[in-house]
Amino acid sequence: MTPLNLILAAQAADPEVIDRIPSGYSHFVIPFTIGMTFMLCWIGVGCVRLLAAIPRADRLKFWKSLFIPKTVVRNLKDLFGDCLLHVKIWQRKPLLGYMHSAIAFGWFMLIVLGHIEVALFVPARLNVARGGLFYPIFYRYFVWMNPGHTTLRGSFFFFLMDFFLLYVLTGIAMAVFKRFRSIVLGMRHTTKPSLADRVALYSLWLIFPLRLLAESFTADLSGGSFLTVGVNHFWHFLFGDKLWFTPCWWAYSICLGLFFAAMPFSRYMHILTEVLWILLRNAGIKPSHPRKGVAEAEIYACSSCGLCLDACPMNVQKKNLKYSSVYFIRFLRRHNEKKINAIADKCLMCDKCHALCPVCVDAPALRRAQRATGNNALPYNYSYLETGVSGADVPSKGSERGGVLYFAGCMTHLTPRIIKAVDKVFKAAGIEYSFADRDGGVCCGRPLMLAGRLEAAAKVIEANKKMIEESGCETLVLSCPICYKVFKEEYGLRGIKVIHYTQFINDLIASGKLKVEKTGERIVYHDPCELGRGCGVYIEPRAALGQAGNLVKARKEYDESVCCGGSLGSLTLDTRDRAKIAESSLDNLLANDPDTIVTACPLCLKTFSEAVSNSGRPPGGVAVKDFAEVIAG
Amino acid sequence: MKNNILIIGGGPAGLEASAQLQRMGYNVILIEKSPRLGGHLAKWDRLFPDGVPADDVLGGLIKELNGVKYFTDTDIRAINRLEKSYNVRLTNGITVLSDAVLVASGFDLFDAVRKEEYGYGIYDRVITNADLEAWFKTGSDKRIDNPRKIGFVHCVGSRDEKSGCRSCSKVCCATAVKQAIEVKQAFPEAEVFCFYMDLRLFGRHYEDLYLKAQKEYGIRFIRGRVAEVSENIDGTLVVKAEDTVASKPLKATLDLLVLMSGMRPSASGKAVGDLLEMTVEEDGYFAVRSGIAAGQRSPLPGLFLAGAATGPKTLPETLADARAAAVEIDRYLTEIFPDARNYKQLVRERW
Repeated sequence: MTPLNLILAAQAADPEVIDRIPSGYSHFVIPFTIGMTFMLCWIGVGCVRLLAAIPRADRLKFWKSLFIPKTVVRNLKDLFGDCLLHVKIWQRKPLLGYMHSAIAFGWFMLIVLGHIEVALFVPARLNVARGGLFYPIFYRYFVWMNPGHTTLRGSFFFFLMDFFLLYVLTGIAMAVFKRFRSIVLGMRHTTKPSLADRVALYSLWLIFPLRLLAESFTADLSGGSFLTVGVNHFWHFLFGDKLWFTPCWWAYSICLGLFFAAMPFSRYMHILTEVLWILLRNAGIKPSHPRKGVAEAEIYACSSCGLCLDACPMNVQKKNLKYSSVYFIRFLRRHNEKKINAIADKCLMCDKCHALCPVCVDAPALRRAQRATGNNALPYNYSYLETGVSGADVPSKGSERGGVLYFAGCMTHLTPRIIKAVDKVFKAAGIEYSFADRDGGVCCGRPLMLAGRLEAAAKVIEANKKMIEESGCETLVLSCPICYKVFKEEYGLRGIKVIHYTQFINDLIASGKLKVEKTGERIVYHDPCELGRGCGVYIEPRAALGQAGNLVKARKEYDESVCCGGSLGSLTLDTRDRAKIAESSLDNLLANDPDTIVTACPLCLKTFSEAVSNSGRPPGGVAVKDFAEVIAG
Repeated sequence: MKNNILIIGGGPAGLEASAQLQRMGYNVILIEKSPRLGGHLAKWDRLFPDGVPADDVLGGLIKELNGVKYFTDTDIRAINRLEKSYNVRLTNGITVLSDAVLVASGFDLFDAVRKEEYGYGIYDRVITNADLEAWFKTGSDKRIDNPRKIGFVHCVGSRDEKSGCRSCSKVCCATAVKQAIEVKQAFPEAEVFCFYMDLRLFGRHYEDLYLKAQKEYGIRFIRGRVAEVSENIDGTLVVKAEDTVASKPLKATLDLLVLMSGMRPSASGKAVGDLLEMTVEEDGYFAVRSGIAAGQRSPLPGLFLAGAATGPKTLPETLADARAAAVEIDRYLTEIFPDARNYKQLVRERW
């Protein structure tokens, strides 16, 4: 590297930077060094323990993933996007995004640039034995700019350092403001910080103002740019030549030390854990235990930012705030068994907290894992499935080969108008199909999985799988998103196309097999949780409904859609709480005065029908219809 | 001086209370929002436990009215509470200055469409208790075509948290037993099943009716709620239930299914309640003044309640409630109302 040699040569001849304190050490660095060392030890041990707790096969998969080019690219992209720039927050709440990225990216740049400066001007100090741990952090204290020898390059770094310091300071100012008026930044509820959180939080607030203070006091010696030099002039104007800068550096170091010492016990552990979690997440490893291994990475990667508080549909009632994912994770972290179970059981599993989480912490999966710790061992008796007394009338073999099989599922059987409408649509399109569970069938298994009863679920899945494979069908159409998700993800039906009826019917319309007459009806479409966030089906139902009427928007839709409250994901939420959720979800849908609410899930259909009749709206006000009903006309 | 008393609701409670108060010498004004008096009683054919024709009972109640001024097709436009009285504007243009108001707004039948799993409004051969009663009365209903197997589903919209209807509707058990007998009389060849959670046959002679249904008519009572109903291509119904006595799931094919719709708070009664800012309890029915002894007094002085407005009641209970309300109103109008000087204190002590 020629430039570096040149630099070194230049420095030897006529140094730009001179050691102001030749020993490169001062007592004030002690608090920082202790805090930092403690944190590094803690995280080192933690990482080893965490990786050791991951099942062997998963661990191997993890190491391998680090060498797969595609994953590497994704890792880099996610590390920059999620950890530093906070792209996901930017997209939803620009002000919050600015705040987070200012602190994260700004601080990151300060650290990186600080080390580059040391590497350029006093490279020997990067050696840990010669103070490499603290020297780059307090660089400005230890050096003296050789007057008259400051190069353009030096000024460039001065400018960058001041620029990023200012950038961080604006972020900190917003963070302080957010503590008092969070709604301005787009958050209705914020989390209650714990004691360690408070220590770390207040230190964090102080770190950067103190850094400005400390660096500005020394700016006339060690150099600076628009910010530090400007402030330095101001101090001289105020105090003359008596600048007592040592106390400022002490305070700066103490705050840093406090922050790092408190970090392992506070939410700020997410700063470093996020990195590990993103690598694990991109390696495709799922938690097998609610507390150990991958789960631990998720728990510590949670920044406790509280975006899930406003996302959670239960929080229309303030009393339910305590059941939010952020608190679930906090109690998991503290091993508070009693509270964890209550919170795990309450959740509706709508997955919105997961979809909106800036670091994709899959709290619903952790809740399911927690449920499984107790519920998986509960007794069950599905012996009737094996003895062949199954309620499912398996469609006769051969005759259906290559055909369409429709599986309505338990919930659709409770809303027979869907079955009627589907039949009508299929007939209109000339689709010959057989009805797998006309006279009753076996549950798809998803409700059992949501309850954490994995073994029991495996039994019913096996029974249904056998029935479907023996039918010889080519396409399996589901009208219930709950069934759809589990059929698609857990059944492993090879050679059979598993498709939701919204997609199937949309295909029929697109291929011209089905004619739909457009009416002037104003339709709002509700995204069922299991279909939208669960399976990513957003476009097809809207495309088909757009042919049948005028689609209007809900206040929140797509992955921000609000659960209807009828979800069978919750094990303990009572009817009145559910009714409150339904009310708010209904309110969200009615934002643009639709004539009809359309959904593609039997549970949502039932819940909204109830909610409309309970809301005291005049009958004939707003209709609640199933997707197939609208298409059938 | 004859006090004006406004009675809201021309069902059995309103009719009975009107007749009683008229006899006591008050000036009674009765309003009914529908075109005819009688409420649900006017739509019913025969009554349990003895099978008395509903028309006879209603005719008797109306005959007793004896000069009560009543307005049908009339609703309330506005109500103003003055110092002691109520100033009520009716939709027919009349304004009444009333010293006491009795709300006898009754109930609505649960809308069986809401229990979609039973298929009312979706399958042709699913009807409600009210539909069956109308058929008994008029004999015309295309859905009832010589059924061979008939099922009754108890507790539709009663004791059902999922529909938001927690309370027991009190009358449906006996009504189902009565209707099962009647339908068996109409179709002696038919098999009749009643699906129940538990039977609440609490009144006098109700148990006798239940025994008669089993012994004389061979009606089969199956303990277990119906889970879901589906329809065969020929229009017959497949009912899935659980027989909790035999601990077995059960599947039956039926030609006719009758849903015993329960009682819900009256929607138009609620509109009146909103005008008066009356307190409604969690179950949706009007609250009475605290204490079990204050059965017909509302929390507002001068405002009384009778009949199913304060919860499901059988016909005899409703009539007794109406008579009790008449006595309460009389007591209020003679002891508290005339004392202009001490009115407020008396209300505090004795309301």
